[in-house]
Amino acid sequence: MPESATTVPSGAAEFWRQYPRFLARVLWEAFDGSRLFYAWMTLLTAVFLVGANAWAVQVRDGLAVTAMSDHVSWGLYIANFTFLVGLAAGGVMMVIPAYLYHDEEMHDVVIIGELLAVAAIVMAIMFVTVDLGRPDRFWHLIPPFGRFNFPVSMLTWDVLVLNGYLLLNLHICGYLLYMRFIGRKPNPKWYVPFVFLSIVWAISIHTVTAFLYCGLGGRPFWNTALLAPRFLASAFVSGPAFIIIAIQIVRRVIHSDFGEGPIRTLLNIMRVTILINLLMVGSEVFVEFYTGGSHTSAAHYLYFGLHGHNALVPWIWSSVVMTVIAAGLLLSPRAVADRRLLNLACVLAFAGIWIEKGMGLIIPGFIPSTLHEVVEYLPSVMEWKITAGIWALGFMIYTVAIKVTINVMGAGRRHFSVLPPEA
Amino acid sequence: MSQPTTPPAEGITRRDMFKGLGATLGLAAYAKALAPLTEWKPFESVEDFLQKHYSELSAVDLEVVLKRIEKDTKKQYGADVQVSADRPQPGVKFGYALNLSICIGCRKCAEACHKENNHDRPSHQSYIRVLEMSNGSLDLEKGNAHYDHPVPAKDKFYMPIQCQQCDHPPCVDVCPVEATWKEPDGIVVVDYNWCIGCRYCEAACPYHARRFNWSKPQIPAAEINPVQGYLSNRIRPQGVMEKCTFCLHRTRNGKLPACLEACPTGARVFGNLLDPDSEIRWVLQNKRVFVLKEELGTKPQFFYFFDA
Amino acid sequence: MPQELSINPQAMRGWNRAVGGGSVRHRNRVSKLSTTTWTVAVAAVVAVAGGMAFAQKSKAPAQAAGEIPRVASAAPLHPVTIQRPAGPPRVNTGTTNFHGQAVTVACGTCHATTQPNARTHTSAELDQFHQGLKYAHGELNCLSCHNATNYDTLRLADGRSVEFADVMTLCGQCHGSQLRDYQHGAHGGMTGYWDLSRGPRTRNNCVNCHDPHSPKYPLARPVFPPRDRISVPVKAAAANH
Repeated sequence: MPESATTVPSGAAEFWRQYPRFLARVLWEAFDGSRLFYAWMTLLTAVFLVGANAWAVQVRDGLAVTAMSDHVSWGLYIANFTFLVGLAAGGVMMVIPAYLYHDEEMHDVVIIGELLAVAAIVMAIMFVTVDLGRPDRFWHLIPPFGRFNFPVSMLTWDVLVLNGYLLLNLHICGYLLYMRFIGRKPNPKWYVPFVFLSIVWAISIHTVTAFLYCGLGGRPFWNTALLAPRFLASAFVSGPAFIIIAIQIVRRVIHSDFGEGPIRTLLNIMRVTILINLLMVGSEVFVEFYTGGSHTSAAHYLYFGLHGHNALVPWIWSSVVMTVIAAGLLLSPRAVADRRLLNLACVLAFAGIWIEKGMGLIIPGFIPSTLHEVVEYLPSVMEWKITAGIWALGFMIYTVAIKVTINVMGAGRRHFSVLPPEA
Repeated sequence: MSQPTTPPAEGITRRDMFKGLGATLGLAAYAKALAPLTEWKPFESVEDFLQKHYSELSAVDLEVVLKRIEKDTKKQYGADVQVSADRPQPGVKFGYALNLSICIGCRKCAEACHKENNHDRPSHQSYIRVLEMSNGSLDLEKGNAHYDHPVPAKDKFYMPIQCQQCDHPPCVDVCPVEATWKEPDGIVVVDYNWCIGCRYCEAACPYHARRFNWSKPQIPAAEINPVQGYLSNRIRPQGVMEKCTFCLHRTRNGKLPACLEACPTGARVFGNLLDPDSEIRWVLQNKRVFVLKEELGTKPQFFYFFDA
Repeated sequence: MPQELSINPQAMRGWNRAVGGGSVRHRNRVSKLSTTTWTVAVAAVVAVAGGMAFAQKSKAPAQAAGEIPRVASAAPLHPVTIQRPAGPPRVNTGTTNFHGQAVTVACGTCHATTQPNARTHTSAELDQFHQGLKYAHGELNCLSCHNATNYDTLRLADGRSVEFADVMTLCGQCHGSQLRDYQHGAHGGMTGYWDLSRGPRTRNNCVNCHDPHSPKYPLARPVFPPRDRISVPVKAAAANH
């Protein structure tokens, strides 16, 4: 053991012997735990099943069970997809301090962010899948049997970057956990390059997702160069907000006290990104309303309603209020010491951005329609069920992943790290 | 299964029993939740599922596919139909012009489209949407598709909008699976057997020209138009995109599109843009024509004009 | 002039060439080689050559393939049939015959014996027949179009008579721009084939749509209102199987 600790995993035979054991352990961890764990997983399973049932009905009867129409042809699913890509990209805000700036403490907990990326990407992909009219034809995307319209279609770029990001993070987390499982020191050659790649990749997933929308000349509300930067800024709010809360939950569950430094770092990041996000939203709003004209009717619809239609107005103003309050709380010096204040700020920021980048971004792209007709959209019950189901599945994946990580690393550890201390 | 007094044998604890029970219930719940999928029939046969992209079908393949679609239509809708796959004619590029001075907004074109193209009956689907516009403004913002009074109303004009068959179609660019493309005669078509239903094209189209089959189209057998084209008016499957094809099952055989024949005033002019003697060319050369949303660079092949 | 004005299906192509076929005209002028047209011709050739070069460079495949010899012009063309009025109208006498059918008479039956009045221009001015006929057609009077010497025909502006069946010749005298548009397929409903090498076409004539005495196109009730939301019952799909 000692002499192999610094080397690359030795031999295929060793790997084939150990890897199934590793997988079995992961599986075991997923189905065994405390009463609290069972209760939580049962709840999530129940919600997931409600969603799965709704999806099965939707597949059978068609997307007519949603509230979407030929005017508003994307809805809650694509709104969640967009938000979740941002959440996945947001995890990178732990990776950058940890690896680029050698923040030791962040290094210890960085896997919380990487696993979040995995869960969020899985959810994002599921949201796209449930939005498809013909999921049975998914193989049409996959060459050589399918036809992949690359590089012309931005959607093909998105397929590549999302799956690439998923694989990258699965590899990084999986490798580190596996090494820990077999008691060896991970070889930096096998993960550090991937970590750096994942930093660039995180930016790319959200940029490409923004390009999906802002490249469409027929939709003036989306057709702005500011969309990708805005996406990134808001992603770097929602990601850290989620992680700050996740860290606190994990350490309460395992009775530990790690992560104080990382929480501060993330708080400092959010203090900047939430202001950048507000600034960008503000400049968009200025351009729209000061310029006027028919290209701004979508913004009018969103913020004030149009021709007596105002379904989104309560949503967007809730978002504005939540984000502004969150910004105020985060900027307050008391946010560092007062955990309740910080948590409230994180929840508000997370919810505010979920609305702004979800319903607040996707729906006004379709209202008014390209023929300037106003046909409103509010998600149907089926859409809410399916959406809740996917979120439940995401939480299941994240819970299991975190649990595996904790337990593989060994109980009772004060530290949480799957990584060796930096050399 | 074991007597309550005896301790659980072979190390089976109560906890394990609960787990087993939970797992069984869980699996049952999964099966129940996903049960609607067993009633889902997205395709009639394995050949249907495995069908290749339209452009990769050989002549023989295509013949088999057309026969299969005819058979499936008979089975699902009870109608005898003939599905053909007309090819673009060399030397022909279709163009359409619409005289806004003559159009009275009667929507007979939209109705004819509905019938000709075997649209879903309950949703009143049609590829044509007619906007009532106010004189003095071409701003679509001021248009209204839901007018219901005798037409033409005073100080109004009427603007039917359908697929503009753009030379630079944004809908084609965005399709991730090449299920939609522009044919040599200018028609943008969809392979209904290849589309995955992501609706990105519907978001990309600046003219509200694309339609989605939110559910399986419902048409009584007696109302089904039996003259059908693979790329045009055959009954579409659930969950795929569709669009106006200038009735290519008609126009590729030399016939006028259904919307033109239905027009009582002759506001519509259709023909071959490559024929210098065609009616459409005369309009382009002698009328002051314009296209919708020219600034987007989509290069529509559908033109509007007013009489001088 | 009458030759050109008469609506003859076989002449449709001819009109198109005469008005739209700019290239044909140029060729004729060049063959005459008069000094004035010479410069025009040279300019045209330069322009065409330049245009072709540009077309090549900007690789517009559709346009380049455009002016290939048309198959259609070689094949015999199917006719364009213009619907015509059956003949002179018959006027209801207001009485019925033994079988209960309305008794109608030809125009000449009465007008052979009545004195024409050139000043009459609405039916209100008459004390019998044609009562209730709605008239709204500019400043015309009856004899502007009806032939006072033979009421079973119509009268052109120059005094010559024209059959009811050729009514379009009459209308076209004043409504030149409409006739021109009609001749180029940009006015008036039609059915059949856009490609006359593959089938015939049938066209309306003026009075199919316009009442000659009140030609403004009548108001119509729009059909087929759009529906925005999917109104399909969800269970329907399952019931299909």
